[in-house]
Amino acid sequence: MSAVDAKATAAPVERYQAAFDARWQGNDELTALRRAALDRFLSTGFPTQRDEAWKYTNLRRLETRSFTSADASALDAHQPDWLTTTGTRIALVNGHWLPALSSQTAQPPGVTVLTLKQWLQRDPAAVASYLKEHDQLTGNALEQLNLAFFEDGVVVNLADNTILDEPIYIVHQSTTAAAGRMSHPRIVVRAGRNSRATIVEHYLGANETEYFTNSVTRFEVAAGGAIAHFRVQQEAPRAFHIGHIQTRLAKDARYCVHDIQLGASLGRTGITGLLEGAGSHAALFGLFAPMGNQHLDAHTHLDHIAPHTTSEEDYRGIAGGRGRGVFNGKIIVRPDAQKIDSRQSSRNLLLSATAEIDTKPELEIYANDVKCSHGATTGQLDATALFYLRSRGLSESDARAALIRAFAESILSTIDLAPVRAALEKQIDERFKLANEAKA
Amino acid sequence: MLSIKNLHALAGEKQVLHGLDLEVGAGEVHAIMGPNGSGKSTLAQVLAGREGYTVTGGSVTYKGKDLLSLSPEERAREGVFLAFQYPVEIPGVNNVYLLKAGLNAIRKHRGESEMDAFEFLTLVREKMKLMQMDESFLNRGVNEGFSGGEKKRNEILQMAVLEPSLALLDETDSGLDIDALRVVANGVNSLRSPDRAIVLVTHYQRLLDYIEPDHVHVLSGGKIIKSGDKSLALELEKRGYDWVKQEAAA
Repeated sequence: MSAVDAKATAAPVERYQAAFDARWQGNDELTALRRAALDRFLSTGFPTQRDEAWKYTNLRRLETRSFTSADASALDAHQPDWLTTTGTRIALVNGHWLPALSSQTAQPPGVTVLTLKQWLQRDPAAVASYLKEHDQLTGNALEQLNLAFFEDGVVVNLADNTILDEPIYIVHQSTTAAAGRMSHPRIVVRAGRNSRATIVEHYLGANETEYFTNSVTRFEVAAGGAIAHFRVQQEAPRAFHIGHIQTRLAKDARYCVHDIQLGASLGRTGITGLLEGAGSHAALFGLFAPMGNQHLDAHTHLDHIAPHTTSEEDYRGIAGGRGRGVFNGKIIVRPDAQKIDSRQSSRNLLLSATAEIDTKPELEIYANDVKCSHGATTGQLDATALFYLRSRGLSESDARAALIRAFAESILSTIDLAPVRAALEKQIDERFKLANEAKA
Repeated sequence: MLSIKNLHALAGEKQVLHGLDLEVGAGEVHAIMGPNGSGKSTLAQVLAGREGYTVTGGSVTYKGKDLLSLSPEERAREGVFLAFQYPVEIPGVNNVYLLKAGLNAIRKHRGESEMDAFEFLTLVREKMKLMQMDESFLNRGVNEGFSGGEKKRNEILQMAVLEPSLALLDETDSGLDIDALRVVANGVNSLRSPDRAIVLVTHYQRLLDYIEPDHVHVLSGGKIIKSGDKSLALELEKRGYDWVKQEAAA
């Protein structure tokens, strides 16, 4: 039996052990941390549907693949789907920083933008202690996998009172060289008191390439700070994408995210917001649109730890073909967290009889002086509206596209960063026009 | 222009039209009146091609074509327009988008080029003035948050912009106060022309004070049971429908 066969028949988690041994050796502190994380992953394995948080998402397909760490790869040019934003662009290609396609504008005083590797080179002890403090014992199996395997990423530090007007655009491109490979990018943003910044994360990949992206993004926002976060998952159709976002908010800190999932064969984002300081506010807007055989899962977890904290959540799902979508929104209000105001809305649109969206609000309220509301609806395109538009001369596919766009618009219209909004509107229009034509 | 012969149709599962005949020529205005449940709205929906209405017999010929074989959008592009009794609210789809997409689809079908933005806006502004509508309506969602009267005016605005050959108005007068009725009637009258036919489906004679019909038909039990000129409408207003039904049964 050849070595290749042995690898293919090995138990799934053992393949990750082999991939790890091939990539990481040594006895330094960081490698020890990685190894400990791998052990935690190996001991639990991939989550199964018996785990409540993964009830609607089966990772079996991901588990049966064997992925090895992606190498640094070259890429000739800026890709057509990349956003044209002003400000700093950091290009990660197959999980590795590519300086040639990155551009760093002069940062105002108080702003530091580094790649994770640069930070590691400058101060490995600081990185190790950061990871120990933040990730060693928290996080699910896949976050542990990221800790074991991460290669590169982005670190943004904002000093107190720093206002960064230009967005930081982090584009993660997988190329054909990523076939059979995995990358585990890691983004760390530490925002000082009363600081402000906008972070755009964009994930894309080469068509027909099967790869696995498993990202971790961490925000720590100090008192009075504000972060606007745009996360656009537009991976290649055969890709696997799992993203973990965790945000900790101190007193009066604000976090607003747009969580957009359009690509990948199997995609999931999990957003955890910890409202640790009184007066903090989290706003989560999401849009996921599984078509064909895609499976897209949006998981949110908002923990109102401090009193006088507020959150709002508006998620929309559009599923066509045999697409499957999941929205799971958990809200916890801790016993001492009085005067909470929390609103959650999940609205879903099914475009075909074979599409499915599961939506599950979960409220755990242990305080008594709180206002929490939630609502979920799932429906189809309004037949009367469709007829009305057609009776004015629009083709059925244009009429459907207009109604789908209108449904998505309530999320898209809240995006105040013009290049992101324009690109998404175009994406949505093209996507559903194509889908309709395929259907006709 | 429009020739309906022995039309039988179901609304859902229910047989509503039982052999309806109607001939409408270019340049004519016809009023179809009748009691509730007589099949007036079913006729309008069948002509516009709405799903859920099934033709079980008869034929409808429009400009020499089999109208019933065309999809709703093909009918619209061939020049058939239905002003809805209950215009649909569509948040997120702009009025101006609908007008432009509709107009360009119709022009393309006729082999004409798309209108440029300036030409289009000039046209729309002119028609909005006619309908006494504020330009702010253009960038609102289709009928979104419009009052009953505003919705009906918006229907006639669409009609004025799309310039159909055959305009079907389904109870356009219902729910309108007298001022709005005048504006709507004025809009409809502005479209009267030798190459256009208008069919008004209405419950009341009131609309006909403002839009004078050439022919008036009474629809009852799913067929036309009496036809006449505008004096028939006045007589119906005075005497109700029962005498016509009795006369037809005799």
